[in-house]
Amino acid sequence: MRRLADNNNNKQPVINLRPGGGRGPGAMGIPHEKAKNVKGSLKRIISYIGKNKNLLFAMLGVMLVATLLNIIAPSIQANAIDSITVTEEHPAVDLNELLNWMIVLGVVYLTSALLTYFQNIFAAKLSQYTVRIMRKDLFARISRLPIKYIDTHKHGDIMSRMTNDVENVSNSVSQSLGSLVSGVIMLVGCFTMMMIYSWQLTLVSMITIVLTLFVSKNLSKLMRKYFPMQQRKLGQLNGQIEETVSGYKTVKAFTREARVCEEFNATSDELRRIGIKAQILGGSMGPCMNCIGNIGFLLIAAFGGWFAIEGIISIGTIQAFITYSKQFTRPINEIANQYAQLQSALAGAERVFEIMDSEPEDEGGNEPFEIEDVKGDINFKDVQFSYVEGEPVLTDFDLWVKSGQKIAIVGATGSGKTTVINLLTRFYDVDGGVITLDGQDIRSIPKEKLRGSIGMVLQDTVIFSDTIAQNIRYGRIEATDEEVVAAAKLARVDDFASKLADGYDTQLTEGGSNLSQGQRQLIAIARAVLADPKILILDEATSSIDTRTEMHIQQAMIALMKGRTSLIIAHRLSTIRDADKIVVLAGGRVVEAGDHEELLAQRGAYYDLYQSQFAGIAT
Amino acid sequence: MIKVLKYLKKYWYIAALSPLFMILEVSMDLIQPDLMSKIVDQGVLGENMDLIFEFGIQMIIFTFIGCIGGILSGVFGNMAAQSFANDLRKDAFSKVMKMSFQQTDKFTTGSLVTRLTNDITACQDFVGMALRMMVRTTMQFVGGIYMVLNIDARFGLILLVTLPVQLIIVAVVLKKGAPLFGVVQSKLDRVNSVVQENVSGARVVKAYTREQYEIDRFGTANDELCNTNLRVQKLMALLVPVLSILMNASVLAVIYLGGLQVQAQELEVGRIMAAITYITQILMSVMMIGMMFQQVTRASASAKRIREVLDADPVIGSGSFDGNTEIKGTVEFRNISFRYPGVQANNVLEDISFTVNKGETVAILGATGCGKTSLVNLIARFYDATEGQVLVDGVDVKEYDLDALRKKIGFVLQKSELFSDTIENNIRWGNPDATDEEVREAAMIAQADGFIQGFTDGYKDIVTEKGSSLSGGQKQRLSIARAIVKKPEILIFDDSMSALDLTTDAKLQRALRENLGDTTVIMIAQRVASVMGADKIAVIENGRLAAFDNHENLMKSCDVYQDIYNSQMREGDEKVG
Repeated sequence: MRRLADNNNNKQPVINLRPGGGRGPGAMGIPHEKAKNVKGSLKRIISYIGKNKNLLFAMLGVMLVATLLNIIAPSIQANAIDSITVTEEHPAVDLNELLNWMIVLGVVYLTSALLTYFQNIFAAKLSQYTVRIMRKDLFARISRLPIKYIDTHKHGDIMSRMTNDVENVSNSVSQSLGSLVSGVIMLVGCFTMMMIYSWQLTLVSMITIVLTLFVSKNLSKLMRKYFPMQQRKLGQLNGQIEETVSGYKTVKAFTREARVCEEFNATSDELRRIGIKAQILGGSMGPCMNCIGNIGFLLIAAFGGWFAIEGIISIGTIQAFITYSKQFTRPINEIANQYAQLQSALAGAERVFEIMDSEPEDEGGNEPFEIEDVKGDINFKDVQFSYVEGEPVLTDFDLWVKSGQKIAIVGATGSGKTTVINLLTRFYDVDGGVITLDGQDIRSIPKEKLRGSIGMVLQDTVIFSDTIAQNIRYGRIEATDEEVVAAAKLARVDDFASKLADGYDTQLTEGGSNLSQGQRQLIAIARAVLADPKILILDEATSSIDTRTEMHIQQAMIALMKGRTSLIIAHRLSTIRDADKIVVLAGGRVVEAGDHEELLAQRGAYYDLYQSQFAGIAT
Repeated sequence: MIKVLKYLKKYWYIAALSPLFMILEVSMDLIQPDLMSKIVDQGVLGENMDLIFEFGIQMIIFTFIGCIGGILSGVFGNMAAQSFANDLRKDAFSKVMKMSFQQTDKFTTGSLVTRLTNDITACQDFVGMALRMMVRTTMQFVGGIYMVLNIDARFGLILLVTLPVQLIIVAVVLKKGAPLFGVVQSKLDRVNSVVQENVSGARVVKAYTREQYEIDRFGTANDELCNTNLRVQKLMALLVPVLSILMNASVLAVIYLGGLQVQAQELEVGRIMAAITYITQILMSVMMIGMMFQQVTRASASAKRIREVLDADPVIGSGSFDGNTEIKGTVEFRNISFRYPGVQANNVLEDISFTVNKGETVAILGATGCGKTSLVNLIARFYDATEGQVLVDGVDVKEYDLDALRKKIGFVLQKSELFSDTIENNIRWGNPDATDEEVREAAMIAQADGFIQGFTDGYKDIVTEKGSSLSGGQKQRLSIARAIVKKPEILIFDDSMSALDLTTDAKLQRALRENLGDTTVIMIAQRVASVMGADKIAVIENGRLAAFDNHENLMKSCDVYQDIYNSQMREGDEKVG
């Protein structure tokens, strides 16, 4: 029963996300991690559950009564049996007495079933409500995390906190918590009932309990050794699958299929070997417990029989006792299981809270700032910046972009081009110096307004799993269909979108293969066009687009961007030649600046770069 | 399901042992209540301690046999299930590795990963369960009924009433619940995908200040998930209480009927107690069967998904030609037309013919989405041409053994795919037997040596998750080094220099010319500067070959080429050229 229930709760994690969570599918049952700050995390979970106090108390109340009813039911059943048992003190079957007991029993059963139903409903509601708030809070925090956090943490790990860990907490709230509470009540209740019936038999059943504890302790000790091993292997295997399947084209191109299969088979065999050991241990628990249960049953029967002959107890008592002793050992297993489950849920909760506690991105200052009035005068003054302390990316960086200018930034990989953008948009903040927009320190401007005045097309194209139209509309949610199409036409999306069977309603997939890299970039450009920003940033936004298409887009953009500031990062000279000012970055500083002609005349770094365009012919 | 289960055949003897031992365990379990009732009726009521001990010892023996049976059943069941899954996994994996691109496109890599992991685990769990739990439950059910009837046929009447009712309830709840489980899964997928998009697309979300919009979007997805979950749980909440009412009603009925018979002195109290135990067992097993049905539905869905993988015979079959040709390094396209199978109605490429001779460098130029990548994919038979022929060294690629064909080719993909291993080993992917010097040399040609040396561990530095620690340009250069170290006859670059800055690009071009003079190079590029030095340039326009000639001639004769050239060079080139 338990095993099945576990399987059902083990919702399939969705893998086509990202690897790296480390906790692959199939993790069930035997947890192997512990929370660091049990008390603190517990308190916070409880405070989450506490948001639905009424439900919680209702559930606990109903549970208490239901458990008590379950505790007394066997004793009533015993009375009923006694009433039809013929003994010396009880010479005849008493059908009236039997009927009376049966009515009582019926009422108890009915009530208990009804209460169980309500308990289930309350527990389900409680867990879903709790999990809903928790997920919401977690997501709200994730969406406000600074880019730095996202850049420095594995995405798979963040994902797994949102799914696996929250799910784990949810299951614990609905099941473990209830089972734990009712288990303890059951334990105390059964023990009391057993003692009332016969302290002698209670002593006898203690033997079973000792046995149960002994066996389960030793078995789980062994299991604790093998299960984590199995989990690790499984993680390794899943990692291998992820990597080879998504790097599939490379595998094919280099005819590495055989070798990759070999490596995979080795891991798979290893998993099988460890898996068999782990599962056998896990599978032995049931029969052993069953066996111990039967021994207990026998002990009670034998001693009960003996006591009955001696006249110490009645036959009904034996029946009741057997039920009680069964009910008694069950919660012991249950509590042990649930405790472990709770432990791992706590560890999961801790990971969730860790994100919730991480510093959110600050909202920026609250100096008055109107997006409509932005002129786009950007000034970097003595900017210092490093991602990793001691490895400066920008040093004494100065750049003045006058309102309405088109500025191009060129430089070798790693010269800090993208960093300039990261700082202007406050994805990262300067370590020293200041960046101003229209004379205002960008840190004093509300972030939302700062970013609202900037439109960006980034190096890595982000496509949401939605239709083409919706992906473009992301630039301005309230845009009409006509506006979307207009932007698409300008960005040359229309050329291919209108040829697709579903046109603009074609469903795109995140990272999907139904569009070429260049077409994805076009969509991102359309998005920025639709946003109609005061300042436009293009960071290698056209690298996969052919130059003629790019030229058409650029011409359209120039018209669109008239009087607005734009910053362009590109490797292609054709992309940047028209800029009002070209800035050459090297070693975190501006080494040259000027327009195309001026820079060529200087015969410096830009000249070298430009030369290299023709290196193909030169040699 | 059946096709997948065939993988169990190899382990049939182990697999068969498991249910056998399970039957042993359950039979022992079934005897217990009967013995118990004898102990009560004859021993306790008959005040016969000897009988208690006699039956007691019997019971202990049966219990132990049962326990051993249970453990052994577990041992064999697990061995069978794990070996089954292991074989299945290995086969499915190698099948995936043999798939053609159009198949992986259709399946999507994400779904393939799920199939190889979750779905196989689901099937493994199912086999383990089927071998043991199903046998156990069925035995308990059938055995229980037999035992009850054995005690008193009249108790069968009770079962006749309660069993159908219970079966109906379980069936109804499951029937209502089953579709809901699917809904839950899809709602969960939705929640996951929103989170995923927000994490990997964080910059765009922030750039457009769409945080609140995303929070609302997530809120909707989250609410829907929670509500559906709640619906399922509410339905399931009904099951246990209703069934326990039925079960307890049966117990009451047994006690009453039993009471009457005890009064008529037809039955002993101990037998009633045994009957109660059996009836409880029977009804519990019905519930279990219901739960297992759910498992079966799920496993068969998984099995179906795995079968699709197993059945997917590579669309592109290998030929028999061993690749031993006299000329090494020529490629000829003969009247090639191509469209992506099943996706598009129109041809991407239309009647393209040109030849690349040994040692030549040929560049392919064309607009976004014009089919450049598709064209070079045909050389390595990643896809097959819809019409026409591709000949490598004078032989149709379809006649080649796939491995032999691809061994001739070094392919640098548009998207650099790196593996979590050392830089050195990533390069060595091209040629597992390459010496350290060869690796270094390839890296130098690819202009990668410089930045690799800059890493703390140099060539031993580990490439993290898909190369996230490297810049786009660095990843491209590693992929290029990987292809170079292979020392292929034909080297193909699929727009794989786009992230390189101009200086590096030029150095790379020069190094390629200097070091790989004999190698045929086919290069897709956007920059005219990268292609100007090529022996021939194929200009593709609207899927057709607009021109095929060298730079000078194209400048004179080809409008499209001039257009492209002007879009990049326009004025000023004379000054520095």
